[in-house]
Amino acid sequence: MGAIELDGLTKDYGDVLANDDVSFSVETGEIFGYLGPNGAGKTTTIRMLLGFINPTAGTARVLGNDIRDRKALIEAKHRIGHLSDDQAFDEQATGTEILDLHAAVKGDERRAELLDLFDPPLDRQVRDYSSGNVQKLGLVTTFMHDPDLVILDEPTGGLDPLVKHRFAEFLRAERERGVTVFFSSHILSEVRRLCDRVGIIRDGRLVTVDPIETLLSRSGKVVRINSAGPIPTEFVDIDGVHDLETSVPDGHVADPDTEFTECTFTFTGDINALLARLPDHEMVDVSIEEAPLEDVFLRFYGGDEDA
Amino acid sequence: MLEFARYDAAKRIKGSVYLAVGMSLLATFAVWAYPSYSEAMDMEQLREAFPEPMIQAFNIQTMASLEGFLAVELYMFGWVILLGLYIAYSAASIIADDIDRGRMDTLLSMPVSRPRLALERFAALGVPILAVNVVTPVVVLVSADLIGESLAVVDVVALHLLSIPYLFACGGIGLVASVLFDRASIAQRVALGVTFGIYLVESLLTGTDYEGLGAIAPMRYFNPNEVLINGTYDLVGAAILIGMMSILIIVSQLWFVQRDL
Repeated sequence: MGAIELDGLTKDYGDVLANDDVSFSVETGEIFGYLGPNGAGKTTTIRMLLGFINPTAGTARVLGNDIRDRKALIEAKHRIGHLSDDQAFDEQATGTEILDLHAAVKGDERRAELLDLFDPPLDRQVRDYSSGNVQKLGLVTTFMHDPDLVILDEPTGGLDPLVKHRFAEFLRAERERGVTVFFSSHILSEVRRLCDRVGIIRDGRLVTVDPIETLLSRSGKVVRINSAGPIPTEFVDIDGVHDLETSVPDGHVADPDTEFTECTFTFTGDINALLARLPDHEMVDVSIEEAPLEDVFLRFYGGDEDA
Repeated sequence: MLEFARYDAAKRIKGSVYLAVGMSLLATFAVWAYPSYSEAMDMEQLREAFPEPMIQAFNIQTMASLEGFLAVELYMFGWVILLGLYIAYSAASIIADDIDRGRMDTLLSMPVSRPRLALERFAALGVPILAVNVVTPVVVLVSADLIGESLAVVDVVALHLLSIPYLFACGGIGLVASVLFDRASIAQRVALGVTFGIYLVESLLTGTDYEGLGAIAPMRYFNPNEVLINGTYDLVGAAILIGMMSILIIVSQLWFVQRDL
Protein backbone atom coordinates (compact mmCIF):
# COMPACT_ATOMS: atom_id res chain seq x y z
CA MET A 1 0.00 0.00 0.00
CA GLY A 2 1.30 3.43 -0.90
CA ALA A 3 1.51 6.23 1.64
CA ILE A 4 -0.60 8.35 -0.70
CA GLU A 5 -2.82 6.95 -3.45
CA LEU A 6 -4.73 9.29 -5.73
CA ASP A 7 -7.56 7.79 -7.70
CA GLY A 8 -9.00 10.06 -10.34
CA LEU A 9 -8.84 13.04 -8.02
CA THR A 10 -10.69 15.96 -9.60
CA LYS A 11 -11.47 19.48 -8.49
CA ASP A 12 -13.68 21.50 -10.76
CA TYR A 13 -14.16 25.15 -9.83
CA GLY A 14 -16.47 25.72 -12.74
CA ASP A 15 -14.28 28.21 -14.56
CA VAL A 16 -11.10 26.27 -13.78
CA LEU A 17 -10.48 22.55 -13.72
CA ALA A 18 -7.81 22.74 -11.04
CA ASN A 19 -7.23 18.98 -10.88
CA ASP A 20 -8.38 16.79 -13.73
CA ASP A 21 -8.59 13.06 -12.98
CA VAL A 22 -5.21 12.89 -11.24
CA SER A 23 -4.05 9.38 -10.30
CA PHE A 24 -0.68 8.28 -8.95
CA SER A 25 0.73 6.84 -5.78
CA VAL A 26 3.55 7.75 -3.46
CA GLU A 27 5.34 4.71 -2.05
CA THR A 28 6.13 4.42 1.62
CA GLY A 29 9.62 5.67 2.37
CA GLU A 30 10.28 7.62 -0.82
CA ILE A 31 10.71 11.30 -1.52
CA PHE A 32 8.22 12.16 -4.20
CA GLY A 33 8.47 15.48 -5.99
CA TYR A 34 5.30 17.10 -7.32
CA LEU A 35 6.48 19.43 -9.98
CA GLY A 36 4.73 22.14 -11.88
CA PRO A 37 4.66 25.89 -12.35
CA ASN A 38 2.57 28.16 -10.18
CA GLY A 39 -1.11 27.62 -10.89
CA ALA A 40 -0.69 24.08 -12.24
CA GLY A 41 -2.82 22.61 -9.45
CA LYS A 42 -0.21 21.36 -6.97
CA THR A 43 -1.66 23.13 -3.95
CA THR A 44 -5.18 22.06 -4.93
CA THR A 45 -4.09 18.41 -4.83
CA ILE A 46 -2.41 18.86 -1.47
CA ARG A 47 -5.39 20.68 0.03
CA MET A 48 -7.70 17.87 -1.09
CA LEU A 49 -5.34 15.28 0.41
CA LEU A 50 -5.57 17.07 3.75
CA GLY A 51 -9.33 17.53 3.65
CA PHE A 52 -9.32 21.32 3.33
CA ILE A 53 -11.33 21.16 0.11
CA ASN A 54 -13.63 18.43 -1.17
CA PRO A 55 -12.91 16.63 -4.44
CA THR A 56 -15.50 17.10 -7.18
CA ALA A 57 -14.85 13.51 -8.27
CA GLY A 58 -12.43 10.72 -7.48
CA THR A 59 -10.74 10.25 -4.16
CA ALA A 60 -7.43 9.51 -2.51
CA ARG A 61 -6.10 7.52 0.39
CA VAL A 62 -3.59 9.00 2.78
CA LEU A 63 -1.85 6.45 5.03
CA GLY A 64 -4.66 4.10 4.07
CA ASN A 65 -7.48 6.48 4.99
CA ASP A 66 -9.99 7.66 2.43
CA ILE A 67 -9.88 11.46 2.41
CA ARG A 68 -13.70 11.57 2.28
CA ASP A 69 -13.80 9.88 5.69
CA ARG A 70 -13.30 13.02 7.79
CA LYS A 71 -12.90 11.24 11.09
CA ALA A 72 -10.29 8.83 9.81
CA LEU A 73 -8.36 11.61 8.10
CA ILE A 74 -8.26 13.69 11.29
CA GLU A 75 -7.04 10.66 13.22
CA ALA A 76 -4.36 10.11 10.56
CA LYS A 77 -3.10 13.65 11.06
CA HIS A 78 -1.35 12.50 14.21
CA ARG A 79 1.04 10.80 11.78
CA ILE A 80 1.11 13.50 9.10
CA GLY A 81 3.16 16.66 8.96
CA HIS A 82 2.07 19.47 6.65
CA LEU A 83 3.79 22.63 5.60
CA SER A 84 1.51 24.97 3.69
CA ASP A 85 2.75 27.01 0.73
CA ASP A 86 1.65 30.12 2.55
CA GLN A 87 2.51 29.22 6.10
CA ALA A 88 0.94 31.64 8.56
CA PHE A 89 0.66 31.72 12.32
CA ASP A 90 -1.13 33.86 14.87
CA GLU A 91 0.86 37.10 14.54
CA GLN A 92 0.32 38.06 18.15
CA ALA A 93 1.72 34.82 19.52
CA THR A 94 5.38 34.10 20.15
CA GLY A 95 7.07 31.15 18.49
CA THR A 96 7.03 29.31 21.81
CA GLU A 97 3.28 29.83 22.23
CA ILE A 98 2.67 28.44 18.75
CA LEU A 99 4.85 25.41 19.41
CA ASP A 100 3.18 24.82 22.77
CA LEU A 101 -0.25 24.76 21.10
CA HIS A 102 0.94 22.30 18.46
CA ALA A 103 2.66 20.21 21.13
CA ALA A 104 -0.50 20.01 23.22
CA VAL A 105 -2.56 18.85 20.24
CA LYS A 106 -0.21 16.42 18.49
CA GLY A 107 2.96 15.97 20.55
CA ASP A 108 6.50 17.30 20.29
CA GLU A 109 8.97 14.42 20.63
CA ARG A 110 11.41 16.06 18.26
CA ARG A 111 11.01 19.72 19.13
CA ALA A 112 14.45 20.27 20.68
CA GLU A 113 16.27 18.45 17.91
CA LEU A 114 14.44 20.44 15.23
CA LEU A 115 15.07 23.73 16.96
CA ASP A 116 18.79 22.96 16.76
CA LEU A 117 18.47 22.69 13.00
CA PHE A 118 15.93 25.40 12.30
CA ASP A 119 16.09 28.13 14.89
CA PRO A 120 13.30 30.70 14.61
CA PRO A 121 13.44 33.45 17.29
CA LEU A 122 11.04 31.76 19.69
CA ASP A 123 10.64 34.60 22.16
CA ARG A 124 9.54 37.09 19.55
CA GLN A 125 6.01 37.57 18.27
CA VAL A 126 5.37 36.05 14.88
CA ARG A 127 4.42 39.50 13.55
CA ASP A 128 8.12 40.40 13.78
CA TYR A 129 9.27 37.30 11.89
CA SER A 130 10.87 37.41 8.47
CA SER A 131 9.36 35.05 5.91
CA GLY A 132 12.37 32.77 6.41
CA ASN A 133 11.71 32.57 10.12
CA VAL A 134 8.03 31.83 9.56
CA GLN A 135 9.14 29.00 7.29
CA LYS A 136 11.56 27.68 9.91
CA LEU A 137 8.83 27.73 12.53
CA GLY A 138 6.65 25.90 10.02
CA LEU A 139 9.29 23.22 9.51
CA VAL A 140 9.43 22.66 13.26
CA THR A 141 5.64 22.35 13.54
CA THR A 142 5.64 20.01 10.53
CA PHE A 143 8.13 17.53 11.97
CA MET A 144 7.86 17.97 15.75
CA HIS A 145 5.42 15.10 16.30
CA ASP A 146 7.61 12.68 14.34
CA PRO A 147 5.17 12.04 11.47
CA ASP A 148 5.34 9.02 9.16
CA LEU A 149 4.30 11.12 6.18
CA VAL A 150 5.09 14.73 5.47
CA ILE A 151 3.37 16.81 2.83
CA LEU A 152 5.34 19.92 1.99
CA ASP A 153 4.04 22.62 -0.31
CA GLU A 154 6.95 24.63 -1.70
CA PRO A 155 8.98 24.05 1.45
CA THR A 156 12.11 26.05 0.68
CA GLY A 157 10.51 29.37 -0.23
CA GLY A 158 12.01 32.11 1.90
CA LEU A 159 14.85 29.98 3.27
CA ASP A 160 18.38 31.26 2.80
CA PRO A 161 20.82 28.97 0.93
CA LEU A 162 22.49 27.69 4.09
CA VAL A 163 19.20 26.63 5.67
CA LYS A 164 18.05 25.23 2.34
CA HIS A 165 21.09 23.00 2.32
CA ARG A 166 20.48 21.97 5.92
CA PHE A 167 16.87 21.21 5.04
CA ALA A 168 17.92 19.00 2.12
CA GLU A 169 20.29 17.04 4.36
CA PHE A 170 17.55 16.72 6.95
CA LEU A 171 15.04 15.44 4.40
CA ARG A 172 17.44 12.76 3.18
CA ALA A 173 18.04 11.65 6.76
CA GLU A 174 14.26 11.49 7.26
CA ARG A 175 13.96 9.20 4.26
CA GLU A 176 16.64 6.94 5.78
CA ARG A 177 14.44 6.74 8.88
CA GLY A 178 11.59 5.53 6.72
CA VAL A 179 9.59 8.76 6.51
CA THR A 180 7.61 9.31 3.32
CA VAL A 181 7.96 12.78 1.83
CA PHE A 182 5.60 14.31 -0.69
CA PHE A 183 6.68 17.73 -1.73
CA SER A 184 5.65 20.17 -4.35
CA SER A 185 7.98 22.55 -6.04
CA HIS A 186 8.46 24.65 -9.09
CA ILE A 187 12.20 24.73 -8.46
CA LEU A 188 13.72 22.01 -10.55
CA SER A 189 17.18 21.79 -9.11
CA GLU A 190 15.63 21.19 -5.72
CA VAL A 191 13.53 18.31 -6.96
CA ARG A 192 16.49 16.79 -8.71
CA ARG A 193 18.68 16.93 -5.61
CA LEU A 194 16.12 15.37 -3.34
CA CYS A 195 13.55 13.24 -5.07
CA ASP A 196 13.38 9.57 -5.92
CA ARG A 197 10.43 10.01 -8.23
CA VAL A 198 8.75 12.96 -9.78
CA GLY A 199 5.20 13.63 -10.89
CA ILE A 200 4.72 16.51 -13.26
CA ILE A 201 1.43 18.36 -13.33
CA ARG A 202 0.38 20.82 -15.95
CA ASP A 203 -2.91 22.70 -16.16
CA GLY A 204 -4.41 20.34 -13.60
CA ARG A 205 -3.47 17.18 -15.48
CA LEU A 206 -0.76 14.75 -14.49
CA VAL A 207 1.71 14.64 -17.37
CA THR A 208 4.07 11.94 -16.19
CA VAL A 209 5.38 10.10 -13.15
CA ASP A 210 8.97 8.92 -13.48
CA PRO A 211 12.02 8.07 -11.44
CA ILE A 212 14.29 11.05 -11.52
CA GLU A 213 16.94 9.14 -13.56
CA THR A 214 14.42 8.28 -16.25
CA LEU A 215 13.43 11.86 -16.44
CA LEU A 216 17.03 12.90 -16.81
CA SER A 217 17.80 10.25 -19.42
CA ARG A 218 14.71 11.18 -21.36
CA SER A 219 15.91 14.70 -21.29
CA GLY A 220 19.20 13.60 -22.87
CA LYS A 221 22.61 15.22 -22.95
CA VAL A 222 23.68 18.59 -24.12
CA VAL A 223 26.53 18.16 -26.61
CA ARG A 224 28.86 20.97 -27.65
CA ILE A 225 31.39 20.49 -30.42
CA ASN A 226 34.12 22.89 -31.40
CA SER A 227 36.35 21.63 -34.21
CA ALA A 228 39.47 23.05 -35.78
CA GLY A 229 38.22 22.36 -39.34
CA PRO A 230 34.76 22.30 -40.93
CA ILE A 231 32.49 19.27 -40.38
CA PRO A 232 29.58 18.57 -42.74
CA THR A 233 26.26 19.21 -41.04
CA GLU A 234 24.91 15.82 -42.17
CA PHE A 235 27.21 14.11 -39.64
CA VAL A 236 25.04 15.32 -36.81
CA ASP A 237 21.75 15.09 -38.67
CA ILE A 238 20.72 11.80 -37.05
CA ASP A 239 17.96 10.42 -34.83
CA GLY A 240 18.13 11.64 -31.26
CA VAL A 241 19.53 15.04 -32.11
CA HIS A 242 17.30 17.94 -31.11
CA ASP A 243 17.55 21.68 -31.09
CA LEU A 244 20.58 21.64 -33.36
CA GLU A 245 22.42 24.91 -33.71
CA THR A 246 25.49 25.21 -35.93
CA SER A 247 27.74 28.12 -36.62
CA VAL A 248 30.95 29.13 -38.31
CA PRO A 249 32.69 31.83 -36.33
CA ASP A 250 34.73 34.49 -38.07
CA GLY A 251 38.18 33.31 -39.12
CA HIS A 252 37.04 29.82 -40.17
CA VAL A 253 36.65 28.87 -43.78
CA ALA A 254 33.45 26.83 -44.20
CA ASP A 255 30.08 27.01 -45.88
CA PRO A 256 27.65 27.82 -43.06
CA ASP A 257 24.78 26.19 -45.00
CA THR A 258 26.35 22.73 -45.08
CA GLU A 259 29.23 22.82 -42.65
CA PHE A 260 30.10 23.96 -39.15
CA THR A 261 32.99 24.29 -36.78
CA GLU A 262 30.85 24.92 -33.73
CA CYS A 263 27.57 23.28 -32.81
CA THR A 264 25.34 22.50 -29.84
CA PHE A 265 22.41 20.13 -29.60
CA THR A 266 20.50 17.95 -27.19
CA PHE A 267 21.08 14.26 -27.75
CA THR A 268 18.76 11.49 -26.54
CA GLY A 269 20.34 8.54 -28.41
CA ASP A 270 23.36 6.32 -27.68
CA ILE A 271 26.32 8.57 -27.08
CA ASN A 272 28.78 5.97 -28.53
CA ALA A 273 26.96 5.96 -31.82
CA LEU A 274 27.30 9.68 -31.94
CA LEU A 275 31.01 9.67 -31.16
CA ALA A 276 31.61 6.99 -33.80
CA ARG A 277 30.05 9.19 -36.43
CA LEU A 278 32.24 12.13 -35.78
CA PRO A 279 34.87 12.33 -38.54
CA ASP A 280 38.53 12.28 -37.95
CA HIS A 281 38.83 15.97 -37.37
CA GLU A 282 40.91 17.78 -34.90
CA MET A 283 38.72 18.90 -32.03
CA VAL A 284 39.29 22.06 -30.10
CA ASP A 285 36.71 21.13 -27.48
CA VAL A 286 33.90 18.61 -26.98
CA SER A 287 31.59 18.61 -24.00
CA ILE A 288 28.75 16.25 -23.13
CA GLU A 289 26.67 17.32 -20.18
CA GLU A 290 23.44 16.31 -18.55
CA ALA A 291 20.60 18.45 -19.80
CA PRO A 292 19.37 20.98 -17.27
CA LEU A 293 16.07 19.89 -15.73
CA GLU A 294 14.64 23.16 -16.96
CA ASP A 295 14.83 21.70 -20.45
CA VAL A 296 12.99 18.59 -19.34
CA PHE A 297 10.42 20.81 -17.86
CA LEU A 298 10.11 22.95 -20.95
CA ARG A 299 9.74 19.85 -23.04
CA PHE A 300 6.76 18.72 -20.97
CA TYR A 301 5.30 22.14 -20.96
CA GLY A 302 5.96 22.56 -24.62
CA GLY A 303 3.78 19.47 -25.06
CA ASP A 304 6.45 17.82 -27.20
CA GLU A 305 6.97 14.69 -25.17
CA ASP A 306 9.21 12.63 -27.41
CA ALA A 307 11.58 15.43 -28.24
CA MET B 1 -9.17 18.33 24.42
CA LEU B 2 -9.72 22.03 25.03
CA GLU B 3 -6.26 23.04 23.80
CA PHE B 4 -7.76 25.59 21.42
CA ALA B 5 -10.19 26.91 24.01
CA ARG B 6 -7.33 27.36 26.44
CA TYR B 7 -5.12 29.01 23.84
CA ASP B 8 -7.86 31.41 22.74
CA ALA B 9 -8.93 32.12 26.30
CA ALA B 10 -5.38 33.14 27.19
CA LYS B 11 -5.31 35.41 24.13
CA ARG B 12 -8.55 37.06 25.21
CA ILE B 13 -7.54 37.90 28.76
CA LYS B 14 -5.96 41.25 28.00
CA GLY B 15 -8.86 42.52 25.92
CA SER B 16 -11.29 41.25 28.52
CA VAL B 17 -9.60 43.28 31.23
CA TYR B 18 -9.95 46.41 29.09
CA LEU B 19 -13.57 45.53 28.40
CA ALA B 20 -14.33 45.02 32.09
CA VAL B 21 -12.63 48.29 32.97
CA GLY B 22 -14.51 50.12 30.23
CA MET B 23 -17.90 48.79 31.22
CA SER B 24 -17.13 49.48 34.87
CA LEU B 25 -16.39 53.09 33.99
CA LEU B 26 -19.70 53.29 32.15
CA ALA B 27 -21.40 51.79 35.22
CA THR B 28 -19.69 54.20 37.60
CA PHE B 29 -20.68 57.11 35.41
CA ALA B 30 -24.32 55.97 35.25
CA VAL B 31 -24.55 55.56 39.02
CA TRP B 32 -22.72 58.82 39.68
CA ALA B 33 -24.94 60.76 37.26
CA TYR B 34 -28.21 59.53 38.77
CA PRO B 35 -28.41 61.83 41.86
CA SER B 36 -27.71 65.00 39.89
CA TYR B 37 -30.40 64.04 37.35
CA SER B 38 -32.97 63.12 39.95
CA GLU B 39 -32.36 66.29 41.92
CA ALA B 40 -32.48 68.54 38.89
CA MET B 41 -35.72 67.26 37.44
CA ASP B 42 -38.71 65.05 37.77
CA MET B 43 -37.48 61.75 36.39
CA GLU B 44 -40.94 60.74 35.20
CA GLN B 45 -40.93 63.85 33.07
CA LEU B 46 -37.54 62.88 31.72
CA ARG B 47 -39.03 59.58 30.64
CA GLU B 48 -41.94 61.35 28.96
CA ALA B 49 -39.48 63.67 27.24
CA PHE B 50 -38.01 60.77 25.25
CA PRO B 51 -39.67 60.27 21.85
CA GLU B 52 -41.96 57.24 21.79
CA PRO B 53 -39.76 55.08 19.50
CA MET B 54 -36.87 55.58 21.89
CA ILE B 55 -38.95 54.66 24.91
CA GLN B 56 -39.84 51.54 23.01
CA ALA B 57 -36.32 50.85 21.75
CA PHE B 58 -34.79 51.17 25.18
CA ASN B 59 -37.82 49.67 26.87
CA ILE B 60 -37.84 52.60 29.27
CA GLN B 61 -40.28 51.82 32.08
CA THR B 62 -39.29 54.30 34.74
CA MET B 63 -36.35 56.53 35.40
CA ALA B 64 -37.59 57.57 38.80
CA SER B 65 -35.46 55.06 40.66
CA LEU B 66 -31.81 54.10 40.43
CA GLU B 67 -32.97 50.64 39.31
CA GLY B 68 -34.99 52.07 36.46
CA PHE B 69 -32.28 54.54 35.53
CA LEU B 70 -29.57 51.84 35.44
CA ALA B 71 -31.81 49.45 33.55
CA VAL B 72 -31.96 51.99 30.73
CA GLU B 73 -28.69 53.87 30.86
CA LEU B 74 -26.37 51.00 31.75
CA TYR B 75 -28.07 47.72 30.92
CA MET B 76 -30.25 48.44 27.90
CA PHE B 77 -27.59 50.59 26.34
CA GLY B 78 -24.39 49.03 27.71
CA TRP B 79 -25.34 45.37 27.89
CA VAL B 80 -28.13 44.67 25.46
CA ILE B 81 -26.78 46.91 22.71
CA LEU B 82 -23.08 47.62 23.20
CA LEU B 83 -21.92 44.33 24.65
CA GLY B 84 -24.27 42.32 22.48
CA LEU B 85 -22.80 43.96 19.39
CA TYR B 86 -19.26 43.62 20.68
CA ILE B 87 -19.61 39.89 21.34
CA ALA B 88 -21.25 39.29 17.96
CA TYR B 89 -18.46 41.28 16.31
CA SER B 90 -15.80 39.44 18.23
CA ALA B 91 -17.29 36.03 17.42
CA ALA B 92 -17.38 36.93 13.74
CA SER B 93 -13.62 36.68 13.51
CA ILE B 94 -13.37 33.25 15.16
CA ILE B 95 -13.17 31.36 11.86
CA ALA B 96 -13.16 34.06 9.18
CA ASP B 97 -10.04 35.78 10.43
CA ASP B 98 -7.94 32.61 10.21
CA ILE B 99 -9.23 31.87 6.73
CA ASP B 100 -8.66 35.49 5.75
CA ARG B 101 -5.08 35.45 6.94
CA GLY B 102 -4.22 32.01 5.61
CA ARG B 103 -3.84 30.44 9.02
CA MET B 104 -6.65 27.92 8.78
CA ASP B 105 -4.60 25.35 6.83
CA THR B 106 -1.94 25.43 9.52
CA LEU B 107 -4.52 24.96 12.25
CA LEU B 108 -6.35 22.15 10.47
CA SER B 109 -3.16 20.30 9.63
CA MET B 110 -3.30 19.41 13.31
CA PRO B 111 -5.53 16.49 14.26
CA VAL B 112 -8.61 18.54 15.15
CA SER B 113 -12.06 18.48 13.61
CA ARG B 114 -13.58 21.69 12.34
CA PRO B 115 -16.64 21.47 14.66
CA ARG B 116 -14.36 21.04 17.65
CA LEU B 117 -12.18 23.97 16.61
CA ALA B 118 -15.22 26.21 16.16
CA LEU B 119 -16.79 25.14 19.45
CA GLU B 120 -13.62 25.52 21.51
CA ARG B 121 -12.88 28.96 20.15
CA PHE B 122 -16.49 29.99 20.68
CA ALA B 123 -16.22 28.81 24.28
CA ALA B 124 -13.25 31.13 24.75
CA LEU B 125 -15.71 34.02 24.38
CA GLY B 126 -16.56 33.07 27.93
CA VAL B 127 -13.51 34.98 29.09
CA PRO B 128 -14.71 38.48 28.13
CA ILE B 129 -18.32 37.58 28.96
CA LEU B 130 -17.44 36.36 32.45
CA ALA B 131 -14.87 39.06 33.14
CA VAL B 132 -17.31 41.86 32.42
CA ASN B 133 -20.09 40.21 34.39
CA VAL B 134 -17.95 39.53 37.44
CA VAL B 135 -16.29 42.92 37.71
CA THR B 136 -19.14 45.25 36.79
CA PRO B 137 -21.78 44.15 39.35
CA VAL B 138 -19.25 44.71 42.12
CA VAL B 139 -18.56 48.18 40.78
CA VAL B 140 -22.28 48.91 40.44
CA LEU B 141 -23.07 47.82 44.00
CA VAL B 142 -20.13 49.68 45.53
CA SER B 143 -20.89 52.85 43.55
CA ALA B 144 -24.57 52.74 44.56
CA ASP B 145 -23.54 52.38 48.15
CA LEU B 146 -21.23 55.38 47.83
CA ILE B 147 -24.04 57.65 46.63
CA GLY B 148 -26.25 56.39 49.42
CA GLU B 149 -28.62 54.33 47.28
CA SER B 150 -29.27 50.71 47.92
CA LEU B 151 -29.75 48.16 45.20
CA ALA B 152 -30.98 44.62 45.70
CA VAL B 153 -27.77 42.61 45.50
CA VAL B 154 -29.61 39.48 44.38
CA ASP B 155 -31.27 41.34 41.51
CA VAL B 156 -28.00 42.82 40.28
CA VAL B 157 -26.27 39.46 40.44
CA ALA B 158 -29.23 37.78 38.74
CA LEU B 159 -29.22 40.39 36.00
CA HIS B 160 -25.58 39.73 35.23
CA LEU B 161 -26.08 35.97 35.33
CA LEU B 162 -29.03 36.25 32.94
CA SER B 163 -26.97 38.39 30.59
CA ILE B 164 -24.50 35.54 30.08
CA PRO B 165 -26.78 33.37 27.90
CA TYR B 166 -27.89 36.54 26.12
CA LEU B 167 -24.33 37.48 25.20
CA PHE B 168 -23.48 33.92 24.13
CA ALA B 169 -26.54 33.96 21.87
CA CYS B 170 -25.25 37.18 20.28
CA GLY B 171 -21.91 35.39 19.90
CA GLY B 172 -23.75 32.63 18.06
CA ILE B 173 -24.89 35.17 15.45
CA GLY B 174 -21.25 36.19 15.00
CA LEU B 175 -20.13 32.59 14.70
CA VAL B 176 -22.56 31.92 11.87
CA ALA B 177 -21.25 34.99 10.05
CA SER B 178 -17.74 33.76 10.70
CA VAL B 179 -18.23 30.47 8.86
CA LEU B 180 -20.27 32.01 6.05
CA PHE B 181 -17.72 34.62 4.99
CA ASP B 182 -14.03 34.24 4.22
CA ARG B 183 -13.18 37.84 4.94
CA ALA B 184 -13.13 38.78 8.60
CA SER B 185 -14.11 42.38 7.88
CA ILE B 186 -17.23 41.29 6.01
CA ALA B 187 -18.16 38.70 8.65
CA GLN B 188 -17.80 41.35 11.34
CA ARG B 189 -19.92 43.89 9.50
CA VAL B 190 -22.60 41.31 8.79
CA ALA B 191 -22.61 40.21 12.44
CA LEU B 192 -22.98 43.81 13.60
CA GLY B 193 -25.66 44.58 11.04
CA VAL B 194 -27.72 41.48 11.73
CA THR B 195 -27.51 41.79 15.51
CA PHE B 196 -28.49 45.44 15.47
CA GLY B 197 -31.10 44.80 12.80
CA ILE B 198 -32.93 42.15 14.79
CA TYR B 199 -32.69 44.33 17.88
CA LEU B 200 -34.52 47.06 15.98
CA VAL B 201 -37.03 44.60 14.62
CA GLU B 202 -37.73 43.32 18.11
CA SER B 203 -38.05 46.70 19.80
CA LEU B 204 -39.79 48.69 17.08
CA LEU B 205 -42.29 46.06 16.00
CA THR B 206 -43.56 45.51 19.51
CA GLY B 207 -47.25 46.23 19.55
CA THR B 208 -47.62 45.94 15.78
CA ASP B 209 -48.97 43.09 13.70
CA TYR B 210 -45.41 41.99 13.02
CA GLU B 211 -44.49 41.59 16.65
CA GLY B 212 -44.01 37.86 16.09
CA LEU B 213 -40.90 38.56 14.05
CA GLY B 214 -39.15 39.71 17.19
CA ALA B 215 -39.23 36.15 18.49
CA ILE B 216 -35.96 35.47 16.70
CA ALA B 217 -34.23 38.28 18.60
CA PRO B 218 -32.16 37.36 21.65
CA MET B 219 -33.16 40.74 23.11
CA ARG B 220 -36.70 39.52 23.61
CA TYR B 221 -35.49 37.01 26.20
CA PHE B 222 -33.31 39.25 28.30
CA ASN B 223 -35.07 42.16 30.02
CA PRO B 224 -33.04 44.25 32.50
CA ASN B 225 -36.15 46.22 33.53
CA GLU B 226 -37.99 43.18 34.75
CA VAL B 227 -35.06 42.01 36.79
CA LEU B 228 -34.10 45.32 38.38
CA ILE B 229 -37.51 46.96 38.78
CA ASN B 230 -39.80 43.99 39.35
CA GLY B 231 -37.29 41.47 40.63
CA THR B 232 -38.61 38.81 38.25
CA TYR B 233 -36.20 36.48 36.52
CA ASP B 234 -37.11 35.11 33.14
CA LEU B 235 -35.62 31.63 33.39
CA VAL B 236 -37.57 30.39 30.40
CA GLY B 237 -36.04 33.25 28.42
CA ALA B 238 -32.59 32.17 29.57
CA ALA B 239 -33.32 28.61 28.47
CA ILE B 240 -34.50 29.88 25.09
CA LEU B 241 -31.26 31.87 24.74
CA ILE B 242 -29.20 28.78 25.51
CA GLY B 243 -31.22 26.87 22.94
CA MET B 244 -30.72 29.69 20.43
CA MET B 245 -26.98 29.66 21.04
CA SER B 246 -26.86 25.89 20.62
CA ILE B 247 -28.74 26.03 17.35
CA LEU B 248 -26.47 28.77 16.03
CA ILE B 249 -23.37 26.79 17.04
CA ILE B 250 -24.66 23.62 15.39
CA VAL B 251 -25.63 25.46 12.21
CA SER B 252 -22.14 27.00 12.11
CA GLN B 253 -20.49 23.64 12.63
CA LEU B 254 -22.57 21.95 9.97
CA TRP B 255 -21.76 24.64 7.46
CA PHE B 256 -18.11 24.86 8.40
CA VAL B 257 -17.48 21.13 8.25
CA GLN B 258 -18.66 20.65 4.67
CA ARG B 259 -17.45 23.82 3.00
CA ASP B 260 -14.27 24.28 1.02
CA LEU B 261 -11.66 26.40 2.70
